[in-house]
Amino acid sequence: MLSTKTAAGGSSSSGLKQWLIQNSVILGMIAVLIVFGIINPKFAAPKNLSNVLYQSSLLIIMAIGMMMAMSVKAVDLSIAYVADAAGLLAAMMVIRSWPSAAVFLLPVVFGVFIGLCNCLFVSYLGLSAIIATLGQMLIIRSFELMLTNSAEAQILFMLPPNQTKTFFYLGTGKLFGMPFLTIFTVLVIIAAYFIRHRTVLGREMDAVNGNARVALLSGVNVRKVFGAAFILGSVFSSISGIALVSRTGSAVPTSVEGYLMDCFVSVYLGAIISKNNRMTVIGTAIGALFTRLVSNWITIMGLGAAHKDIINGAIILAALSIGALKKQHE
Amino acid sequence: MNKNSTKLNKAFWEDLILRRGTMIGMIAIILFLGLRAPSFFRVKNLMDVLKQSCILILVAMGQTVVLVSGGFDMSAGSLLQLTANLAAGFILAGMKTPSVLIAGIAVGLAVGLVNTFFVVMVKIPAFVATLAMMLVLSGVTTWYNKGKSITLSNEPGFFFLGQGYIGPIPVLFIITVAVMLLLHVFLKKTKTGLRMYSVGENYAAAMLHGISKKKALLISFMLGGALIGAAGVLQASYSYGASTMSTTLDFLLQALAASLLGTTFSRTEELSVIGTAISALFISSLSSALIANGVSNLLQPGLLGLILVVSVMLTVIKKREIGQVTIF
Repeated sequence: MLSTKTAAGGSSSSGLKQWLIQNSVILGMIAVLIVFGIINPKFAAPKNLSNVLYQSSLLIIMAIGMMMAMSVKAVDLSIAYVADAAGLLAAMMVIRSWPSAAVFLLPVVFGVFIGLCNCLFVSYLGLSAIIATLGQMLIIRSFELMLTNSAEAQILFMLPPNQTKTFFYLGTGKLFGMPFLTIFTVLVIIAAYFIRHRTVLGREMDAVNGNARVALLSGVNVRKVFGAAFILGSVFSSISGIALVSRTGSAVPTSVEGYLMDCFVSVYLGAIISKNNRMTVIGTAIGALFTRLVSNWITIMGLGAAHKDIINGAIILAALSIGALKKQHE
Repeated sequence: MNKNSTKLNKAFWEDLILRRGTMIGMIAIILFLGLRAPSFFRVKNLMDVLKQSCILILVAMGQTVVLVSGGFDMSAGSLLQLTANLAAGFILAGMKTPSVLIAGIAVGLAVGLVNTFFVVMVKIPAFVATLAMMLVLSGVTTWYNKGKSITLSNEPGFFFLGQGYIGPIPVLFIITVAVMLLLHVFLKKTKTGLRMYSVGENYAAAMLHGISKKKALLISFMLGGALIGAAGVLQASYSYGASTMSTTLDFLLQALAASLLGTTFSRTEELSVIGTAISALFISSLSSALIANGVSNLLQPGLLGLILVVSVMLTVIKKREIGQVTIF
């Protein structure tokens, strides 16, 4: 709204320039994808794109969890491990043929529990978020290793189909010809959008992000809001952990570790394409999708892990540089 | 009179626990574990433990130097991995030990310079800028060693750095202590060092005194980079080359934990090189002591996490602010 007003006020060329500057990052992202498609047409094939869309749903959900913590000026380093452990718990319960309700609910309860611990540490006891969630991450890692007798993989796809049918529906089932996982992800994004942007809690998170002291003086229960962000984060990441195991059919302890970096990339990209560098749900989802598209292209081109790391790092630096320069420009 | 003295007594104990609690706890834990495993306190084993912990101490000190002026270095672990690989490769290519050491330090300085550029000139928060640098560096490492470990053998001159002994004392430990003392004097006794502290602790006040944050951060990142670059070379010498095992994140987290644990030694939560070094030594020897006690190594990360959380909590619990960090 504001940008169209200023655009109408100035001459048309400066309005265009303003618009270009404001949307430079997302235009850049589209340009990068187009170039990728030209270099390798296989990348732009509809089948590949829909496949990436299906695969990126897990990163989207997990990155939204990370975004919750980051939108109150905090980080949650334990987020990938919460997903890992939640998936592992679900897998172990399926192997022991527990009822489906327990398989889907108990890992989320585990996520709530870890979120509550983080909340207690950072919000009520005053530990820095980095230290508390780092400690939490190490504790969960030990918990997983003990549980699986030093990282034995829990394989589900070898089990008889009727034992795993309900559980696999989340990750591999189809509804109205669409993968159920994609529909589920859209529902999660909508839910997250309402929590983050349409509730009092979401608004209070913005206030704490802007200036915690001012928020306190204006009557926001800062400790509660700050802690709630961590609980939300853990819940979203435990959901993504269950979905991941349901899709791949096996749970390998500590294998989700790499998602942590991808979460950071997604959230930062998402913030930069949003107005005023705010942490938004939609931005994060787009960021996660872009991250997955890039790594998919790297795989198609047959480039190794080395290139993936370098390109990811370069993307963060480029995006943040543009974001920082944009801020100085304003 | 009597009442007064009990009050004083109470204050004394409170002070003792708050100020020295962490150190007492650390010594108690190591003593307890060490006495249970009889071979732990033999001189030879102790020297091994010291030698083992030196690389972590060096990296943790590099991290501390950056934290002192308000920076943050996520790239520490992957820089270590990179220079270890480079050093191993250079030695195989026939370079002499001093030039390899210089090359390692030069790479560290260059990385520090790039970090400073993004943090100071482009104004990206240190946490993210160095996070991106971490990804880039680990990519470069994989690209350099092509996913294979580089093994060295029969390089007596180079191995002396990481594995040699002077009398009963490991050379590596002597280097580490010397570096620690130099850094301590630099940070606490020179004008530049104290200015770096002031920028990190209270930027507004430092600015009013005309202290440049840019300069402080530049020195921090360069010094930290050089230190970690050198540590990578020593690591290659200590472990007969460079492995491809992705321990970079673990190393970074342990170094970070050591720096933060070190702050619990002072009542004002001030970072100090000596506190960091002691904490890093503790973290390293804890795992050796646990192994000597037959505790499963699956439990170790959890115990480390627990100790980190509890000991830092003891110092911050009085203030009880919320744990926000600068991320953007």
